[in-house]
This record gives sequence, structure tokens and C-alpha cells, in this order.
Amino acid sequence: MMYGLKYIAKRLLGTDIVGRDFAVYPDDTFLVSYPRSGNTWTRFLIANLVYPDKDVSFLNIERLIPDTSSQSNRAMRSTPRPRLIKIHEYFDHRCRKIIYIVRDPRDVVLSYYDFQRKYRHFEDGYPLERYVDDCIQGRLNSAGWGTWGENVASWLYTRGKTKDFLLMRYEDMMENPARELTRVAAFLGIDSDPTRIQNAVAKSSADKMREMEKRESSQWVATKNHRQDIPFVRVAKAGGWREKLPASCVAKIEAAWGDIMIDLGYELSTASEPKTLVLREQVEVR
Amino acid sequence: MAGKFGNAIRYLLGNDPAERNLTTYPDDTFIVSYPKSGNTWTRFLVASLIHSDEPLTFLKADQVIPSVDSMSRKFFKNMPRPRVIKSHFPFDQTYKRVIYIVRDPKDVAVSQYHYQIKRKVLQDGHPMEEFVPRFVAGETCPYGSWGENVGSWVAARRTNPDFLLLRYEDMIRQTDVELTKIARFLHIDPEPGRIRRAVEQSTADNMRKMEQKEAGKWESTKDTRKDKFFVRSAKAGEGKTALPSACIAQIEGAWGGLMQYLGYDLISGQTPTDARVVESILEPASR
Repeated sequence: MMYGLKYIAKRLLGTDIVGRDFAVYPDDTFLVSYPRSGNTWTRFLIANLVYPDKDVSFLNIERLIPDTSSQSNRAMRSTPRPRLIKIHEYFDHRCRKIIYIVRDPRDVVLSYYDFQRKYRHFEDGYPLERYVDDCIQGRLNSAGWGTWGENVASWLYTRGKTKDFLLMRYEDMMENPARELTRVAAFLGIDSDPTRIQNAVAKSSADKMREMEKRESSQWVATKNHRQDIPFVRVAKAGGWREKLPASCVAKIEAAWGDIMIDLGYELSTASEPKTLVLREQVEVR
Repeated sequence: MAGKFGNAIRYLLGNDPAERNLTTYPDDTFIVSYPKSGNTWTRFLVASLIHSDEPLTFLKADQVIPSVDSMSRKFFKNMPRPRVIKSHFPFDQTYKRVIYIVRDPKDVAVSQYHYQIKRKVLQDGHPMEEFVPRFVAGETCPYGSWGENVGSWVAARRTNPDFLLLRYEDMIRQTDVELTKIARFLHIDPEPGRIRRAVEQSTADNMRKMEQKEAGKWESTKDTRKDKFFVRSAKAGEGKTALPSACIAQIEGAWGGLMQYLGYDLISGQTPTDARVVESILEPASR
């Protein structure tokens, strides 16, 4: 009941956190990804592209490209249209124009593990094997986003081939950020002059973002009040799993999501076929 | 603001419809489908299974297997567990155990068209050629398009053992076999006599008789035209003959990949434009 009252007061004042419950406008564009898949980097790239004259930093990013998991309904309403909005939600049919960023789940789990230690969702030394099980079974603190497979698949196989959906792989962005940002510019209908692209890429480099994080981490909503000894901008690399992720974990991830991974062009390292069924068989067997 | 206050009071009392704010438990089972795909029939079958000794009515089915849209959060809180709950939402990760019923979208389109005439949303004789493009765009119902609703669930959960996918067409063809799957999924003893009684209680004829008695009181039929039945054809394959070929081509062009994945034959010769679940989602260039 008390919680209810507090919620209602917040709601009436418009200071409640948006979550899944927000008003969508037809001219909104959503920057969507599972957590730890390069969303913040992409936010900086796009903010620097759209606002070349602004000093984009952690201090103003929430005003430029607000995050529904940390901003209030009032803040969302006061964002100038057409809005660019960052979300981690699984499929929401109200969102029409989507930039979806996907990253190899074998790297995502490693990054997420560090992030959840940063947030003290668990302490150092929590077994990585158990963590990977938690990820696959949907037992994380942040289970509200669905599992990696649920989140990715729910978007890809509903909107993947429609014209208002742009699929970006983190790995392609690492390999050639200018090329990928040019795709985004075309999708958003923004002038993709090479100098403008290059500037946005340079201003959003991992080094620049680390410098900003050092200065601003005690003020940014996503990093303040969390452990400062683990950085938010982490390795900013692709393929770290090859050295850091135990083979047993790799096998579990590939067994759970292998077919989606193959579809996204991520090569599997385990010899066995992923244990996923096609529906026709499923209908017959059950 | 006044409206907001009304909502605030309802929320405090728990009288707001549960919708997306439903608190779920791990032992909940959800019967989910796109509208007009056999959900009401399935609810009858399951309700008959659960209460195998009592006669069933539409109003009772609403209490035994309530809908997230029509019952309050308080109602759900007071429901005995394990609960069985009806929903039409696209993928929702809080639903851990799900029976998903899918039906050929050509037939769904026809059924939805007639239901909207019954509800006076459309007039008699409304051109199908006008309805189907809006159906394909997801504009005729608040739960996304057929492809979005089905695709989001199937893609997210297809390999999950707590996801039971049933085709309406199979349920029509072999109701007892499919209901036995449901019973096992719900940990109910699939004793043949019990299955048979549930199937007999829930025949289209019986449901139409009940509808005649209760149409004025049941939420989905009150204030609708009484010269049309909610329980309509209860058949599979109607879309093939009832839809103009251009409409069939539109439907199969939009969702043919997903339809094939579900084992529905394409008849229009139209090349599907959607992503078949798990098959080359990338553009050839970036592959």
C-alpha cells in the first residue's frame, strides 16, 4: 500500500521511471539492444553525428538520447521530436523505427558479468559457470530484458527484414565504425558527409569515452552510486571470449542460442549441432 | 488530471485491469494466442478438464481462466494457484509457462473481419480488399500484427520446454490428441474418459447453445450484434475460399516465411518477404 502511494505520487508528478510503459510517437526512432552490446557507444556515435556542435558526454547524453530505464516519463515527454530513444526491451510492437545492435553472446556474458559486479548484483568470485547458466535460464537481476536469445530473436524474426529495421553487429562496428555509422546516417536520413562521420567516430572512441567516464562517472545516472573500480567502458573489443570464456560455458551458450548465432554470422566453435528443434519436428514429437 | 486521479484510486484499490502489470508466479500457465485463433475454445477445453464434473458456461470460463485484459490485479492476486490465465499479448518474458495457439493467418483474417462486423466496427459488406491490408499492417487489433505476435513468441521460446505450441488446425482435426498434450503440460491426468468429456462439453454446437443463453452478459458479446455468433464457423481452411486472391498474396507475402515454418502451405505463389525463423537474417552483403 505504501509502495502504491509512492508510485502514484510519482506518476501524478511524471517523475516515475519509464520502463516499458511510455508513450510512443510515430516519428520516434529506437536504439535497441540487449545490455552490454555496444548500445552506449552507438548512442555516442549517433549523438555526435546528429549534434556535431555539441560536446556530447555522459552529462548530456540522457537529454540527447534518453534511456527509458533511467529517465522519467516527464523527461521523455520533454525530449524534442523526432526523438531518438535508447531501450533494452524485447519486442514491443508499438516501436516502429528500430536500430538493433547485436553482439556475440559469448562476449556479452563476459561484459555483463563485470557490469553486474560493478552494480553489486553479486560479489567478486561469483562462479562464471553459474553466471552463464543464470544468463541462459533467465535468472539475472535484470531478467526483465528477457534472455539474450529471447531479446534478439523476438526482434529479428518479427521485424528483421522490414524497411524500418536496421541491424548492426557490434563486431562490424569495431571493424569499420565509419562504414557502419554511414549506414545509420542513411537510415536516419542524415547527411553522411565523410568528414562529419569521421569526426563523430573520433569523438566516440573508446579512449575518449574512458576519459569522459573518469571525469563524469560519479554524475552519470548509469554509473553513479556503483563500484568505481570496475569501468563501464570495458575492453571495447570483439572476440575476448576466445581467451576468457571457459569451453564449457561456450558450449552451453552455443547449445542454447546456436541457431540464432549462425543466423547472425557468428561461427560456432563446438562441433555438435545446436540442440534446437525446428517446429515441424516438435509438432510431431510432442 | 481527473482521469489520472481515477486511475490512481483504481490502482490503490487494485481494481485496475492487470494487463501488463500482472504479477506472475512461476507456476502460472498462460494460454496465449493472437485474437480469433481458438483461444476461447481452448479455454473451454481446459476449464472442462480442470473442473471435469461441473457444467461449463462462458461466465464461468472467465472466472476459471481469466483474461489479463478484463480482470483486475486484485482478482488475480486472490486467484487460487496454480493459475491458468488467458492473454493475447505479444512476447512477454514474465510468462514462464505458455500454451501458444496458432492459426493460419488467412483464416484469422476472415474470423476477425466477421467479429468486427458483429461488434459494429465494420458494416455488413465492408470490402475485404480494404480490411486485409490493415490486418497485415497490424492496425485492426491492439496486440501487434499476426506475424509480430506469433513471430515474437515462436522466435523467443521455440526451444523452451515450458512452451507448448499448438495449431488450431491440429486441434480441429484431432482434438483429443492435442488436449492430451495440454493435460500433460498442465500436469493433469490425461485419462481418456476425462479428455472425451471435455471435448464433448466444448463442441462448437454446445458452445453456440451457451452463447445464445449468455451473449447478453458475456464481456466479449454483450453490446454486439445478436444476429451473428461469436462462435462462428469453427473450421479450418476458410480463408482459402473466402479471401480474394490478392488478399491471400498480401498475407503470404508478409508472413510466408513464418507460415512455412509453422507448416502452413503457401498457395498464392507470392514470395515471402519476412525472415523465416532462423534462416539468414543478414543482408547478403554483410554476411
